Amino acid sequence: MEIGRLREGVRARSKLLLKGPGGDDVLPGEAAEAVFRAASSLRPSVILLGATRNGRETASRLAAKLGWRCASEVSKVTAKAGELAAERSVYAGKVVASVACALPAVATVKTGSYQRSDAEGGTVEEADVGAVDGAVRLLSRKKKEAGGPDLKKARVIVSAGRGVKRKEDLPLLEGLARDMGGALGCSRPLSSDLGWLPEECHIGLTGVTVKPEVYVAVGISGQLQHIAGMKDSKIVVAINTDRSAPIFQASDYGIVGDLYQVVPALRKALAARKGPAPAA
Amino acid sequence: MRIAVCVKHAVDEAELKAGSDGAPVLAGAACKMSTFDKNAVEEALRLKSAHSGEVVAVTAGPADARRTLKEALAMGADRGVIVGTDAPSADTSRTAGLLAAAVRKAGPFDLVICSEGSSDTYSGQVPPMLAEALGVPYVGYARKLQVDGSVARAERLLEDSVEEVEAPVPLVVSVVSEINEPRYPTLIQIMQASKKQVEEYSQDQLGVPTRPASVRVTHMAMQTSNRKRVTVEGSPEEAASRLVQALEREGVL
Repeated sequence: MEIGRLREGVRARSKLLLKGPGGDDVLPGEAAEAVFRAASSLRPSVILLGATRNGRETASRLAAKLGWRCASEVSKVTAKAGELAAERSVYAGKVVASVACALPAVATVKTGSYQRSDAEGGTVEEADVGAVDGAVRLLSRKKKEAGGPDLKKARVIVSAGRGVKRKEDLPLLEGLARDMGGALGCSRPLSSDLGWLPEECHIGLTGVTVKPEVYVAVGISGQLQHIAGMKDSKIVVAINTDRSAPIFQASDYGIVGDLYQVVPALRKALAARKGPAPAA
Repeated sequence: MRIAVCVKHAVDEAELKAGSDGAPVLAGAACKMSTFDKNAVEEALRLKSAHSGEVVAVTAGPADARRTLKEALAMGADRGVIVGTDAPSADTSRTAGLLAAAVRKAGPFDLVICSEGSSDTYSGQVPPMLAEALGVPYVGYARKLQVDGSVARAERLLEDSVEEVEAPVPLVVSVVSEINEPRYPTLIQIMQASKKQVEEYSQDQLGVPTRPASVRVTHMAMQTSNRKRVTVEGSPEEAASRLVQALEREGVL
């Protein structure tokens, strides 16, 4: 068992690889117990984890075991004078809060809030933490199907909302995404309630957080939970029939109109921009 | 099967307004049952209908949180438990400690269901901390859940994978909103909810000592948006070509 893998590009003066008996499939309860054991002898001031689903669980359980404070989803983290201070977004992204707690502390760091370092170096040590048993047994682990859009890396995202009347109409938006060199995402109802698109396409507070160059919200009203997942996009475009839809307040460019007319017109305008295909 | 479902009376983020100083006005802000807690209540009711038993809704919060309990009762929970507290939402370990004490007192339970996180602060800390406080296994982010005798099986929905896990009861499970579609109570159910029993435990009764908050919120400001908010006018064709020009000027096409 190895708790986490030491990734390329993690810059640190020294790295510690926690090892114990057992397979490579580590569940968060086991990771929390292993890090707890290591922390009890190493006595760090701060333990940071990525704010992924497993990261949140591991951090919370670790903090409970250690009796430390736990700050969630933080960015702009500082630790000085015996205190950890940071920022985080709350109320579905409507409010920025400054938070503070006494050290030692555990914190989960909002994914994508820091540039990934590509520096190498540092020493690697190993520590045996012994056997850990989290009482939960892993029966299977399936990677989500590859081939779906990697929205985190997409330069352009066209996102579909309840304004799309039928599943059969999605290719229209897929076409627009393709024309713009981007990928198709959606708001929660389309993936969770209607099941028209896989869960990985769901952009929002409980789904994927994205920040493409261009985000085109098509038929999306703009619930706060959705905005929370796309508010860091560079340019936001909204197409919606309802002039008072909140999405327009969160957009740079808005077209009030029927997506069934606007999207085909937009595809034509994009094709015209490229001009006729050059003769072979 | 005896099931406890934890619910939170959360600030309704959609109704939150800024005060004159730019900070959100939290005193007297509109509150509601945390959005995803409805999925937790629904899952508890679904399991009860499959296995029979009892569903108890548990909350820690101010007196007004009784409204959220009542909503859980209207959906179909059998009774409610409230721990009166004015502890701030950021103090997750305290909330988890209060809920654990309440669950112990109102129990025993085979299963404690929570949602993955609250719609207001979305830390996701309380469910795993609750499991630690109760000393029972924890399964987080379930999108499918079944209990077979003394074993619970769940599918955990993660960012890049789906895990099938099993754990012995009693345990704490957090669910994601994909797990079900919450029911809407009927008018009759809403009326009947008032007749259901709600027990209040004080912090003293539970023997949970008061102590300083673990994480403090030192400042809050409404997120300002620097979006241009330009309405692109014209027929669909005119608007489309103006939009393409605008995106070209932005250098993003």
